[in-house]
Amino acid sequence: MKHTSLVAFLAMIFFISHQSSAQERHTVNGYVKDAENGEELIGATVLVKELGTGTVTNVYGFYAVSIPPGTYTFQFSYIGYQTIEQTFDLKENVEFNIELPVEAQQMDELIITDEAIDANVSDIKMSKNELDIKQVKKLPALFGEPDIIKTIQLLPGVISAGEGTSSFFVRGGSADQNLILIDEAPIYDPSHLFGLFSVFNADVIKDSELYRGGIPSRYGGRLSSILEVRTKDGNNKRLGGSAGLGLLASRFMLEGPIKKDKSSFIVSGRRSYVDVFLKATNQDNLVHFYDVNAKVNWKHNNNNRFFLALYLGRDVFSFEDVFGFDWGNTTGTFRWNHLYNDRLFSNTSIIASHFDYKLALEDDAQGFDWKSNLHELTLKQDFNYFLNTSNEFEFGYHVTYRQFSPGRISPTSESSLFAERAIDKMYALDHAFYVGNQQKVSDRLTFRYGLRLSVFQNIGKQDVFIYEDPKDNIDPTRIDTVSYGAFENIKTYVNLEPRFSARYLLNANSSVKLSYNRMVQNTHLISSGTVPIPFNTWSPSNPYLEPQIADQVAAGYFRNIKDNSIELSAEVYYKDIQNVTDFADNAQLFFNEDLTTEYRQGNSWSYGLELMAQKKEGRFTGFVSYTLSKTERDVPGVNNDNPFLANYDRRHALNLVGTYDLSDQWQFGANLSYSSGRPITVPAGRYQYDNYQVDYITERNGYALPDFHKLDLSATYIPKKNKDRKWQSSWVFSVYNIYSRKNAFTIYTRLKELDDDVYSDEKEAVKISLFPILPSVTYNIKF
Amino acid sequence: MKRYIIAILAMAVLASCEETVQLDLKETEPVVIIDGLVSDQFKNQYVKVSRSVDFYAEGTSKAITNATVSVTDGTTTYNYIHNPTPDPENDGLYFSEVRFAGEVGKTYELTVQVDGATYTAEDSLYPVTAIDSLTFIINDDEFEEPEREGYYYEMLFYAHEPQETEDFYLFKFYRNDTLVLDSPTDIYFSNDDLLAEEINGIPTASFYKMGDTGTVEMYSISNAGFIYYNDLINLLQSDGGMFGSPPVNPRTNVKGGALGFFQASSVVSETIKVEE
Repeated sequence: MKHTSLVAFLAMIFFISHQSSAQERHTVNGYVKDAENGEELIGATVLVKELGTGTVTNVYGFYAVSIPPGTYTFQFSYIGYQTIEQTFDLKENVEFNIELPVEAQQMDELIITDEAIDANVSDIKMSKNELDIKQVKKLPALFGEPDIIKTIQLLPGVISAGEGTSSFFVRGGSADQNLILIDEAPIYDPSHLFGLFSVFNADVIKDSELYRGGIPSRYGGRLSSILEVRTKDGNNKRLGGSAGLGLLASRFMLEGPIKKDKSSFIVSGRRSYVDVFLKATNQDNLVHFYDVNAKVNWKHNNNNRFFLALYLGRDVFSFEDVFGFDWGNTTGTFRWNHLYNDRLFSNTSIIASHFDYKLALEDDAQGFDWKSNLHELTLKQDFNYFLNTSNEFEFGYHVTYRQFSPGRISPTSESSLFAERAIDKMYALDHAFYVGNQQKVSDRLTFRYGLRLSVFQNIGKQDVFIYEDPKDNIDPTRIDTVSYGAFENIKTYVNLEPRFSARYLLNANSSVKLSYNRMVQNTHLISSGTVPIPFNTWSPSNPYLEPQIADQVAAGYFRNIKDNSIELSAEVYYKDIQNVTDFADNAQLFFNEDLTTEYRQGNSWSYGLELMAQKKEGRFTGFVSYTLSKTERDVPGVNNDNPFLANYDRRHALNLVGTYDLSDQWQFGANLSYSSGRPITVPAGRYQYDNYQVDYITERNGYALPDFHKLDLSATYIPKKNKDRKWQSSWVFSVYNIYSRKNAFTIYTRLKELDDDVYSDEKEAVKISLFPILPSVTYNIKF
Repeated sequence: MKRYIIAILAMAVLASCEETVQLDLKETEPVVIIDGLVSDQFKNQYVKVSRSVDFYAEGTSKAITNATVSVTDGTTTYNYIHNPTPDPENDGLYFSEVRFAGEVGKTYELTVQVDGATYTAEDSLYPVTAIDSLTFIINDDEFEEPEREGYYYEMLFYAHEPQETEDFYLFKFYRNDTLVLDSPTDIYFSNDDLLAEEINGIPTASFYKMGDTGTVEMYSISNAGFIYYNDLINLLQSDGGMFGSPPVNPRTNVKGGALGFFQASSVVSETIKVEE
């Protein structure tokens, strides 16, 4: 069955290539860029007016159109930029780079002159959102710190576990099923301060997009979504920068040409200074985080372009110089874009990602130091082949080497009670071969189809324990140990992941789209909480942990109204996950050498309806999103084998997000969120054991937290620019949770306290809410 | 444990608020709770049998007074009788008819019959290492800012952990014969997975004043006991499943649908007085 589909697919490719060679064609290719700073524009539209067809720039800003000889008018357009037309008398291949100037600030409602069909309707992509970082910055933010992840949590199909968290849940997937990439490098924990902020510094972000369905074959490795964040390349025209002073953190960014139009750099830093306040109040408890982003590029010519991007971030907590912990991500990406010929675009990337955490206690008797880390190194070779205006191929090979060190504990003093211990490291090699094609079948119908072959290997060096009963987590009995040498194969899993999308244009302003994708995940988060914490570890698939497999179908109706100024979409989806990784009730996930006995895999299913209305241009911009969804799990060995609602199941989620530009000086933003409470486990009864009053639990996630809602407002003031000054300042005033609703973060139980340290035998339930009304102000400068 | 993360989060943002809420809970079928210990001390051993109550019920577990309770070590069976004294404080407590001491190496099996249902549990009695010594030191932080006037002595504990055996320990600390806990949800227990041989002055719970006596009781527990206490503390300190796992009943060695634990232990204890 798998083989037949592969053969059919290869036959289709052959057929298309054969057909295409029949006619002489020339190619126009190049990069579409922002005229102001030379940044490539991703997803810019290139329309050949005579043919009524065209393409969009790829993720590197590159386009190529192959057409028969003739005279053509090309139209280059991108939202927020002026549309430019260029005529070619095509007799040979043409290399044409174009820079689009930013649209003049229009204070009146924008008049759309252009009749081009908007991407919302015409693009084959569905279940995908791009975030405009400029808009994110205008929106109200917690502590005035703009954060794309907090905005992502407002998108349709995306659920948040609670305010102040940086995890998000896409179409019934858990937080670890999102592949979060910064310049192609995965981020294993996107949180600062346990999720109050994400690791993404808004000053360096150029573009970010979230796929929650219809995922192209070039992406893989996680089940539920791809969040791709791309940082700026750095202005290659002039030296500039920005700085911001916020309530909790300050930021600085500098960018500029190394060689004008050829090479540029960007470097940026952000640091929190809660610790400075704490120090001022004579507290020895120190908390801070920082981020550093740096990137250089060298665009030698259109045929060879090189990029090097680095990210480094860390959180550091220290309590009275005795106890402390820290965690952080480090990533590096080297990228080479190369044109083998006018139609074959290649991207070669070498990507490294590292995550680690450390806990330390300074004490003579109990001093210890606990370290855990995860490294990975990836080689990616991607090709885009722009066959003709009807077919755009992509194919490639990715290989990733991963090393997991779940934990090593070492004594930090001679008299420490701790012995030196470490849990075996684990290693994995992950190969992926993929092919895909976007095929324009007719003016109305476009397909995108692809296949990804995932070959995963759990490799040595490792000692694999064989258990009498691999699910006995009370008294695990090892009957044998099999030793594997370095790079020796322990277990291989091969999976074929078909991907398919179709778009049918009903008319110039409406379309229907359909997609199916299978995703496979071989990297599993070891956490049984709702929100991952940095101290969670990861594990590769192994003899005891099978790959998680998700199948998702989605269908949608897309329509633009009012001259494309308002984009509407309605999507329904159904997602089924096999082998969803969960853990036994009472699983011991920290420093457990027999962790494999805690694994429980089962099924998860989710379905939902997602509605969105978005206005991207004009004085007023914003969106309304509504998600109706349900997510359940059925995992043998969990919740007495009964199905249960996923921790992050929320029936309804409604978000209203808007910004309004009143004048050149004043801009306003608002965000209203409502969602039904997520499920939580509460006691049904209570009993005494020894001196303890213990909750009696009858079912998991059987109680709903109160509904969540809040309203945030912001105002940005941009003082009139002083012509003698080279810099422009702005003030962002933000009020978070303006009516100060005490939204439930979680509920736990405790003994009633009768007097200081005197407790009753009776218990009470306590709701924790994190943020009351929180005003903040941020001062920014740009130069 | 995970509740601390919320506390840290709250500290980091200098915000957060706790308030009591009334959960809208249905009535629940009560469950039988068993809490028993066979120690190596020669005495009337006890088993407590009770029923859970609704979360918002007054008081605590309801005593079961009509159960049939016995413990056997495979050769001798000890019958237990309900509250022999009788003392209303001891309702639900069953004591062995005769005094006996548990023996290291033996496995004790408990049988409890309640209203036609039978619950059984077994636990093995392991040896426990000796307490080498106890000392008091002045805790500098408490000395400077004592939470309770005069209470700034901290009791330290010394022992040798036998490295060749797999051991599990439960500790109880007493100040002038009253059990002390730093927090009412604390349980002091350990396995020896990460322990080195020398236990050199581990601080114990609470603080003492001049003239107080401090006592440490150290119990051997089985692997099942360790698992029970580990699950129990996770439940007692659950954050509701936000960062930690959702609350769930501890894994018990009691079979037949009851909760609680039946424990067999060797016990050693040491006492020391705070003196000039």
